[in-house]
Amino acid sequence: MPRSLGWFILAAVGAGLAAGQQPLTPAERQLNNESFEHIWKTVLDNHWDPKLGGLDWQAVHDELRPKIEAATTMDQARQVMSGMLERLHQTHFGLLSGDVYKELDAGGGSRGANPGIDLRVLGGHAVVISVEPGSPAAAHGVKPGWEIARVNGKDMAPVLASIRAQYKDSTLLDLRLTRSVLSRLQGRSGTTVQLDFTDGRDQPVSITLERVQPRGRIAGLGNFPGDYFWAEWRKARPDVAYVRFNMFMDPETLSKTFEDAVKGCPDCRGFAIDVRGNPGGIGGLAMGVAGWFIDQSGLQLGTEYLRGATLKFMVFPRPQTFRGPLAVLVDGCSASTAEIFAGGLKDVGRARIFGTRTAGAALPSIIERLPNGDGFQYAIANYISQGGKPLEGIGVIPDDEVRLTRHQLLEGQDPVLDAAIDWIEKSGQVSQPVK
Amino acid sequence: MNSPTRTRSTWIGVALLVSAAGALAAADDLPKADTILDKYIEVTGGKAAYAKVHNEVSSGTMEFAAMGLKGQLVSYTAEPNKRVAEFTLPGVGKLLDGANGEVAWATSAIQGPRIKEGDEKAQALLEGTFNADAHWRDLFKSAETVAVEAVDGKDCYKVVVTPKAGSPITRWYDKQSNLLLKSSMVAKSPMGEMEAVSVFSDYRKEGDLLVPHKVVAQVAGRELVMTVDKVEYNADLPKDRFDLPDDIKALLKKQ
Repeated sequence: MPRSLGWFILAAVGAGLAAGQQPLTPAERQLNNESFEHIWKTVLDNHWDPKLGGLDWQAVHDELRPKIEAATTMDQARQVMSGMLERLHQTHFGLLSGDVYKELDAGGGSRGANPGIDLRVLGGHAVVISVEPGSPAAAHGVKPGWEIARVNGKDMAPVLASIRAQYKDSTLLDLRLTRSVLSRLQGRSGTTVQLDFTDGRDQPVSITLERVQPRGRIAGLGNFPGDYFWAEWRKARPDVAYVRFNMFMDPETLSKTFEDAVKGCPDCRGFAIDVRGNPGGIGGLAMGVAGWFIDQSGLQLGTEYLRGATLKFMVFPRPQTFRGPLAVLVDGCSASTAEIFAGGLKDVGRARIFGTRTAGAALPSIIERLPNGDGFQYAIANYISQGGKPLEGIGVIPDDEVRLTRHQLLEGQDPVLDAAIDWIEKSGQVSQPVK
Repeated sequence: MNSPTRTRSTWIGVALLVSAAGALAAADDLPKADTILDKYIEVTGGKAAYAKVHNEVSSGTMEFAAMGLKGQLVSYTAEPNKRVAEFTLPGVGKLLDGANGEVAWATSAIQGPRIKEGDEKAQALLEGTFNADAHWRDLFKSAETVAVEAVDGKDCYKVVVTPKAGSPITRWYDKQSNLLLKSSMVAKSPMGEMEAVSVFSDYRKEGDLLVPHKVVAQVAGRELVMTVDKVEYNADLPKDRFDLPDDIKALLKKQ
């Protein structure tokens, strides 16, 4: 059963919930009261730790109940409910505006449009790391390595400094920084965003870019409204396969991509799987993808601890597997299922990890609809990687830490992939997983 | 978890602890399990009616309402021990689960193909036995009535049956109608053990047999509702209907 949609709320970080400042009707306020109670009881009944780490959940209820009753707008109500969840100090607890579902019901698919730019925050600066071919950004000559100084006139430096101060001790820092800028680039298809760059010659460039439908196709699951999904593989070198996908979704397409890669590159020296920026998705796919690279039965990536049950994340070897050197590329925006995948393969000794520490946001979760129509994501289990440590708050620490730099991006280099390929080409032995 | 369409053929037994002393009757006062199991065959159509059925195709829906997941389920079963169930869930794709008397298997786009082993295999083979309820004496090494307990307000005989292979199952039979209202078992797989409780309702006639058309299952704290929309007996099935999928054949060859 698919159960981990870990990245759902993470993906919404920075985007904010849809504005809801209209005065509520008495009926709407009642639905918010019911939603508040539903959230409170769901956490009480389902959290894997019945003691909630010592948190007095009843006291939280009693403190916030008057506030939800007093909330006169959706913004206020969501603030109260989100505030209640924030008391848990754990990822994968959050809300999604019901407006997203309304848009889906109306056949809308314009969410998350962007100018074709992916970015990371490097050394305190928002830097373009890739430009989608054929996108408005590509058409205007935007290049990897360009710095984004302002978005719609908003200076990014103080925004990033504020987030850095707030999350300076958190593994979520890179994810929060990146999302804070990316979310400003996103919007409805057909709208525009005005960007002030510093180009490769350190010259200011101001461009207004149209937001267009992202690459891929919508992949959703149940109450998760979906996002644009794509997967691809190619040979990064004649003897090195490179597989990349932006989410652990659409199992049939993802499985076919890996099948094509494994069957299309049986004599390759090694594989590099890139989950940088991958926020996760369906938890079971961590095992499913690992099955293409593990030939030994009985191995597991980790263990999920629910209230009253324990589930091993077992890997079932595929009929045809790739047994050569395997590199997994990660960064601070690799989260949830991506961390379960990378961390498990590292722990069983099957893969070498390249890049930077992951987001440390890996609690299996599900999404329900609340009486007020909003989505409610909540974690249902703790997860311990096979190495014996949780990923939540710790993340996956690479074997080889390799950081992107603006200079390398301007030179057209990908030092993380280069390091992985270099290791693969020097590696003469097949990795041996261990139980 | 018991399939909604194979409830008649899913005999399993468990020696669960008997609790709630107030609800219990002394063992000596309880009817023998043999009587209850035989009577279940009678009230759901009788041995002769079961004997006329050689295969079955059932279709319906399955829904994890809390997660907003709803899909289709089609189950094919045939004498003597063949079964293939197809689950189709939007966003997940097709999941197949089957058994043929020798091999029990499952495959999905999420986890890929796998061959079931051990207790999980034993459970799957048992569920794959066609009209198992009518042949329960061949399949179970013991059956015992252990208590009277209420299910949804109805007094039921609680019967623990232990198969010759695999883990036991506990079943609750309505004292009045002798229909099966609930079953409980520990589902075992390489991923771990999990209690699976199924509640059966909406019994209606399909041909000469009385069949539950709704099953509400609790697995790992989540509710799964399965409904049967259509049942066809003695269908004209293609010859390869129960052939092993290619990736399962490849796994067997690899072993």
